[in-house]
Amino acid sequence: MGLILVPPPTVDEKGFELFLGQFGRRPWVESHRIGIDLGDVTFIDPYGMVGMLEFGYYLKSLGKEVILRVPRTGEVSKYLERMDFFRLHLGLFILDPPRLDFTERYHRSSSSDVLLEITKIEKSDDIHFIVDRVRDRAGSILEAHLHYDERAIHHFIVALSEVCQNILEHSQNIGYVGIQKYFYAKSLAKNVVKIAVMDLGIGIKNSLSPRFSSVFGEKWTDLLAIERALLHGASRYEDIGRGHGLTEVRKFVQEWSGKISIRSGTAKFSLLPSWEKGSRVHSGVTFFPGTQISLILPEMGG
Amino acid sequence: MRGRVYDLRLFMKEEMVNGSINLVTRETGAVIRERLERELIGEADPTVAFLDFSGVGVVDYSCADEVIAKLVSRLLSAEYGDKFIVLEGLSSNQMENIEVALERKKLAVLSLQETVGWQIIGFLNNYLRKTLVSVMERENITLRELAEEGGIGLNTGGTRLLNLYKKRLIWRSEEVSREGGRQFVYKSLTAVRGY
Repeated sequence: MGLILVPPPTVDEKGFELFLGQFGRRPWVESHRIGIDLGDVTFIDPYGMVGMLEFGYYLKSLGKEVILRVPRTGEVSKYLERMDFFRLHLGLFILDPPRLDFTERYHRSSSSDVLLEITKIEKSDDIHFIVDRVRDRAGSILEAHLHYDERAIHHFIVALSEVCQNILEHSQNIGYVGIQKYFYAKSLAKNVVKIAVMDLGIGIKNSLSPRFSSVFGEKWTDLLAIERALLHGASRYEDIGRGHGLTEVRKFVQEWSGKISIRSGTAKFSLLPSWEKGSRVHSGVTFFPGTQISLILPEMGG
Repeated sequence: MRGRVYDLRLFMKEEMVNGSINLVTRETGAVIRERLERELIGEADPTVAFLDFSGVGVVDYSCADEVIAKLVSRLLSAEYGDKFIVLEGLSSNQMENIEVALERKKLAVLSLQETVGWQIIGFLNNYLRKTLVSVMERENITLRELAEEGGIGLNTGGTRLLNLYKKRLIWRSEEVSREGGRQFVYKSLTAVRGY
């Protein structure tokens, strides 16, 4: 085996960034085989999971063979199974160990905290499937645990639809989405839903470049492109009705005291609520193709 | 003037194979708009089409732009002939998203709800809203009547009525006045539905 990458025990937004940083610092170009050792992972959320799938796709597109060592902790492996990670990994990773049997140990529960298993987005019908699935499960998670009323559920679903459409409209590639409910004990003492949407497409900067690169010249960067898309509704289309999906999502997330982060190329831009600490802007992060979006929405009231 | 009800849920069932009741994605919006365009073009002039949203689920911003904002925009440039549209059966959530799509393009459309009556969705300046109220309340109004009722000049009143007509929010027919001359009578779109 050539290069082996070892993500931190917690593979969430921050953990995945550390993992990409490790990848960026290592000499991987010459390695035909790359290992990802999830053996010590004790927690992985939709962002980490979708990120790992996208990472697998990326390496595969570069002609690499990727060995994925599954987590030693049974609970983490079961959760990966519950989120359909192992169904979607086919063709991307060689699993170590190669066979996993969850039939005796794990059964899917109707009272699960999974709002949406990892789902591929490559056509308009996939978004209809996602919207239908989330509408079906909204009562048991969004209403029961996040205390969302009908209006909030509607806005949640619209936001999800718009974020997923960005993949079809702008990335020129396939993507993935996954959603899960958690309890944020430390910073919030509330339930939250985490939504992760990613693609390996051309990225926001390249999507907007035909209209904006000449306007901004040398100042045209990944960071500026994300800001233009998220805060100003910039679109690669001239039609004034285009490009507002993401800005409407931002308004919804801010109205509900949520967090939105967008990573594209070598930059990451976040809008943070009062309950979350961190930096709004990261430029010069390890290059990763496409766009990675994270939304975290807390329960209402209290 | 003829009135036609277009059942969007039925159109979705006929045009889409995924069985979804949700108006989401631009692709879906384009399919439904094209069906509406075919229907509108096939109607005799003048016709007001009532787009019935009963039974439709989520309407996202992109689809609202693709179906309603584009349809209204093309209606204004007379691409479908002498046609008008009114939205009915909208939930407050659907209306909110359609409003966002229309406001961006400075467009407006009438909505009709059995419980609350008519409403304007989208962008319309205050003086045109006021004139629209006069037309909707009376169902039929001439320029002279509007001017007398609103205490405004004939030129001002005429401009406002013409603007509302060009925005496809009222219709007009040329009729013979009591004095024997010809005049336009401006009419409410919803009167065709008996509201």
